[in-house]
Amino acid sequence: MQSKNKAVALTRRQFVAAGVLGGAALAVGCKSGNQGNWDFLSDGQARTLAAICDQIVPADEFPSASQAGVLTYIDRQLFRHYRRHRDVYREGLEHANELSRKRFAKDLAEATPAQQLEIVSALEKEERPFFDLVRRHTMEGYYGSPRHGGNRDAVSWRMLGLDEPPVRGRAQYDMRKGATS
Amino acid sequence: MKRFLKIAAIAIVAVGLLALGGSYGASYYYTSQLGQGCAGCHEMGGYVSAVHGSLHQKVGCMECHEASMGTKLRHMRVHFLGTPPETIRLRDKDVLAMASNCRKCHQHEYANWHAGPHSATYSQIFADSTHNSKRRMMEDCFRCHGMHFDGSVRDLVQPQNLQGPWHLIRSDLADQPTMPCQTCHQVHKEGTPQAKPATRISVAGTAGNDSLALFDRREKIHFAAASLAIPHLLEGARPVKMNQDARQAICYQCHAPRGSEAGSVAAANHWGPQVGSGDDRTPIGVHEGLSCVSCHFGHNENARASCKTCHPQMSHCGLDVEKMDTTYASASSQHNIHWVKCADCHQHGVPKMKAVAPAKAQVVPTTPGMDG
Repeated sequence: MQSKNKAVALTRRQFVAAGVLGGAALAVGCKSGNQGNWDFLSDGQARTLAAICDQIVPADEFPSASQAGVLTYIDRQLFRHYRRHRDVYREGLEHANELSRKRFAKDLAEATPAQQLEIVSALEKEERPFFDLVRRHTMEGYYGSPRHGGNRDAVSWRMLGLDEPPVRGRAQYDMRKGATS
Repeated sequence: MKRFLKIAAIAIVAVGLLALGGSYGASYYYTSQLGQGCAGCHEMGGYVSAVHGSLHQKVGCMECHEASMGTKLRHMRVHFLGTPPETIRLRDKDVLAMASNCRKCHQHEYANWHAGPHSATYSQIFADSTHNSKRRMMEDCFRCHGMHFDGSVRDLVQPQNLQGPWHLIRSDLADQPTMPCQTCHQVHKEGTPQAKPATRISVAGTAGNDSLALFDRREKIHFAAASLAIPHLLEGARPVKMNQDARQAICYQCHAPRGSEAGSVAAANHWGPQVGSGDDRTPIGVHEGLSCVSCHFGHNENARASCKTCHPQMSHCGLDVEKMDTTYASASSQHNIHWVKCADCHQHGVPKMKAVAPAKAQVVPTTPGMDG
């Protein structure tokens, strides 16, 4: 009986210790994630990126890039298929803010549209790989399928004159006559 | 061996107790602060943020979403493995479970919807021998019926032939609706809580409802009603006057016209989509220019009380329009209420307009069920 208790007590200790360690690991793991509204971007990075994307596709009678969900698209991809571009985004967005602070004493997101355009134009010359990447991803998000988070309500497709989803009657097949549509 | 069994038993019981305790603890955590607990997992952050900017901003996540032990464990697995899907969406059974949660607050709307044709069940739609003996089922059926179903038509109904007898493979869906609330409503849609409108019938303009959106099966997302197209229809070569009420754009996605039939006059003349073709019911004749929702009330689509919206104020002949020879009075009438024209009865010429009651406002007070 004594040996049984000993075995149980020892196992319990080990179990509790393992549980505490596991719980701590889970807690640390959870806290290390991004706690903002985005999968990868911080809220500050998102504001900076929105300023850049909106200079690439500004609003007119149709929504701007950020209004059409391009940030959602880029953020989702950086969390998944575009992980390899994370460092380029981190450094590029930081550099964009540095440029803005140096020239206008404020973050890019706080600058006027004209000032933002000046910074984005500078990025196009000084940070060409970053600018090309953001431009490419902006286009993908703005014109790609809405299922990926961008092109909200298929706005760019409507801009091009395409109805999405199209209005189309059901495909009707009368099997005694063959296809009728 | 005994020692190993004891360790295993203790481990299993401990894990079970932890999961159980964690589950209830998580339930309390998730229900707190209107979803801030759920937003603790960054995958959910965007969705929680969206609902905080929506019509349902004062509703907690778990008032709508099912959160069983299995669901929580599934979420934990996905979270810790780092394999969340690109777009987090509800499974078919989640959508159906949500419909009964909608009912808790929207009892009147739910009752109206349940009494109408859009609450048709999987059994009624997919095991209908009258239909199935004439037309093969296909994936396109899911565009308007069972759009949330996770699978292909072969996963739902067998056999896939014209002989039958047909049965649902997913028998649990037999009495479930094919067009639940989320077919036409996007709960996380941006907007602010709305007060009940003073008037519910519009013959002239649009009464906004920010949640109105169509669930598109192919993209597996909702498209806002305002972003959907209203078709340009023709009657022969004549353009039909189309009401631009954005709400009816959702109707047109399923009650849609078809291309011209091969060999038809319309096809020979390269005319566009014809009014009344396919499942289209766009009004022409005396009702041309009306929106679907001018007559069909919100959730049950009942049009029985709609005539009074405009008549007798707008009557041209002073007769009781409800008793005229149309499909409104009798389904067997030759004169479809959607397309009836004065000349259908007055075949030798339309008489001059008789004196009518003084014109009144074209919008009448509240009619139950017209807030969708």
